[in-house]
Amino acid sequence: MSEDVFREIDRPWRLWASAIVVGVLAFGCLSGFVILPVIQGYQAGIDPYTAICRSLGILPGSPAARQPVSTAPAAPVSQVSWGPSLIARLNKPDAARGQEIAASVCAACHGEKGLTADPAQFPNMAGQSAFAIYKQLHDYKSGARANEIMQPVVADLTDEQMADVAAHFAALQQARWEQTWVRAASPQVETIVRTGDSARGLPACESCHNPRSGGPIETPVLFAQTKEYLALQMQAFKSGSRKNDLYRRMRSISEKLTDSEIDQLAQYYFEQR
Amino acid sequence: MKSLERLTLAHLWTAFIAFAVACVFGLWQMLARSPIPTPGFTPSNYFISVTAHGAAMAYVLTTFFIMGFGYFTAETALQRPLPGKRIAWAAFGVGLLGVVMAVVPVLLGRASVLYTFYPPLTGSAWFYIGLVLVVASSWVWCAIMIVAMRQWKRANPGRPVPLAMYATVANAILWLWTTVGVTVELVFQVIPAALGLVDTVDVGLSRTLFSWTLHAIVYFWLFPAYIAFYTMAPEAAGGRLYSDTMGRLSFILFVLYSLPVGMHHLFMDPEHSTGFKFVQMTLTVLVTVPTLLTIFTISASMEFAGRLRGGKGLFGWIGALPWERPMVLATGLAFFMLWFGGGGGLINMSYGMNAMVHNTSWVTAHFHLIFGGTVVIMYFAIAYAIWPQLTGREAPSLRAQRIQLWLWAIGMMVMTLPWHYLGLQGQWRRVAQFDYANPIIAAWGSWVVVSVAGGAMLLASALLFIWNLAAFHRARTPVQAPFRFALAIHPPERVPASLNGFGLWNALVAVLMLVAYGYPIAQFFIHDRPVAVVHRVDGAQP
Repeated sequence: MSEDVFREIDRPWRLWASAIVVGVLAFGCLSGFVILPVIQGYQAGIDPYTAICRSLGILPGSPAARQPVSTAPAAPVSQVSWGPSLIARLNKPDAARGQEIAASVCAACHGEKGLTADPAQFPNMAGQSAFAIYKQLHDYKSGARANEIMQPVVADLTDEQMADVAAHFAALQQARWEQTWVRAASPQVETIVRTGDSARGLPACESCHNPRSGGPIETPVLFAQTKEYLALQMQAFKSGSRKNDLYRRMRSISEKLTDSEIDQLAQYYFEQR
Repeated sequence: MKSLERLTLAHLWTAFIAFAVACVFGLWQMLARSPIPTPGFTPSNYFISVTAHGAAMAYVLTTFFIMGFGYFTAETALQRPLPGKRIAWAAFGVGLLGVVMAVVPVLLGRASVLYTFYPPLTGSAWFYIGLVLVVASSWVWCAIMIVAMRQWKRANPGRPVPLAMYATVANAILWLWTTVGVTVELVFQVIPAALGLVDTVDVGLSRTLFSWTLHAIVYFWLFPAYIAFYTMAPEAAGGRLYSDTMGRLSFILFVLYSLPVGMHHLFMDPEHSTGFKFVQMTLTVLVTVPTLLTIFTISASMEFAGRLRGGKGLFGWIGALPWERPMVLATGLAFFMLWFGGGGGLINMSYGMNAMVHNTSWVTAHFHLIFGGTVVIMYFAIAYAIWPQLTGREAPSLRAQRIQLWLWAIGMMVMTLPWHYLGLQGQWRRVAQFDYANPIIAAWGSWVVVSVAGGAMLLASALLFIWNLAAFHRARTPVQAPFRFALAIHPPERVPASLNGFGLWNALVAVLMLVAYGYPIAQFFIHDRPVAVVHRVDGAQP
């Protein structure tokens, strides 16, 4: 038999295969875009045209009944919103302006090179994450974090200026975080740091404070601070006098730590340099 | 050793070494999630392990196995030298380089993003670039498969392409369609983010592109199992394939309906409308058709073989089958697991029921049972079937092979059934640890321990598998008979042109994809879209 005859034999095959595939597709489309949305829309009091547009994704929503909307006022613990423009600014700051602000405003307490003369009271800034510094500056300004010294200092800084100065300190002594395996004084503290204590609902410190863990963007770098400063902050979270942590993360953790654990954790991170 | 054998062995050994290492990670992960104290456990180690296990199993084991088996099939089924062997070796080198590039950052903890990436999480660029190289090397394989079939058809005009090769090319075509989604996601979204070129990622788009790949990739993995069902199991059972046409239809249906269905992984996602989800669910239902066709055809082939061996009555043929042969045993065990895995799959793909199991352990259990169970046990059987040809030696012990297969099947059931149950209880997936002191979930602990026992059996089986393969290389008995694929009871003289090529089916896939994914992808470019800030987990500054 010639090729033409074969082609003639194969033709119905091709046609029927195509018809079945397209037919099933049409059935799916008709059900998904017309029949079900119209029926469900009718039950939910939505007119057919709107229901079809919703099922196509042209109008927002699904044909189900409207969901209740909460009218409770939002009470965020921080006003910082991590958007692309802010992140771009932190990554590409105005370095000269950052240095100028640091020298004129910050150096007195935090040191010209970001290393403070009174580390028990003031944190070191050199090598701290720019995102962490920015978050705290912004929180001081918005009142989310209360501090007699810092609030007047940042009152006149714009968002851009805060970003510039934050990036300036971050760049001072580029923090290269390396995991050093200093043993903690007690195995209990070692466990809290590395694995957490799930029986107490305590996540591992490393879950966030390790830059490779995927923790929140504003997580501070913990090393290069004194034991006193770290303990002071954990106690402030524990007592609730500091409450600018999103979702109460640090407050709910610190509340579960004993005073002795707080001291040992502070000692542990003080030793991690 | 001949050049084809060397090429095939290089691919298959790469696949199986990655597999054995990944099994060690797997058992450790089961332990970590259990109430049993686990050496070396930290949450970050857990996610390193999950990423390494997933990437090794999903990308290295499968891709290298399928490439190696495909080269073997092309030369054995077509009985012609494989074209482009040098290019194939070069592609192997590129793939291997990609594996190393991907594995190192994962083990250093700089790419704990799981094998499914989850942007805006962003790990080291090396990880993604390495995986792109693995995919690129598999594209070379696809080209060689297509060229080999074309050359054979030119030399044998009008004759049907041998089923094993037709299926292999179907898989190559499926894979070319499949990898478009993930490659676009990696090249245009994830890698620019990893290199710091962009600060934001459109997560809706990236999830949609990954869903394009995510279901079809599973069928890419599954093809060798089905090739073995159709073209190896009937021969091993001492019979013939019941129907060659059923095989062709099944493979074509897999090409058609594995692609425009990926949105069933996004039922709970907000970026798509209900209508498109419903359409893709409808198309997903059709994936059951080739599986049911296969169960029917292979059962019929086995019945034919059983009756030839003297089996009588309604079920007597089952007992008459040569279960002592690893390929027959593996087929039986694979079908057994397929009932459970397939049934679970029907629940996953149902728009309504999906809400019950979404993001629970059920889903993890499901894909371990269907892929790790049904598919991988056939990888073992294929290896046992072709290793004599590859090494020129017979296995010293079929018994060790049978023990290994039984251990795998039982281990998989023991591991995954409690896992499914825990998913229904609400156990969430992708977490490192559970607080079993919490009375609400305390009862889960004992079931997780049962799963760990299953995992231990699986690791034992994996190590025995490697031992069994190595035994071939040390064996003294030369191979008795050359390897051959099963023939049909009525070998086709001629098949319709559409069952001997892929032109029509490619056109239909294009239509289905256009309808199923056209607007869902276009909407990201039509409307203003929210973007997510890149979230680095490789220790670099954001």
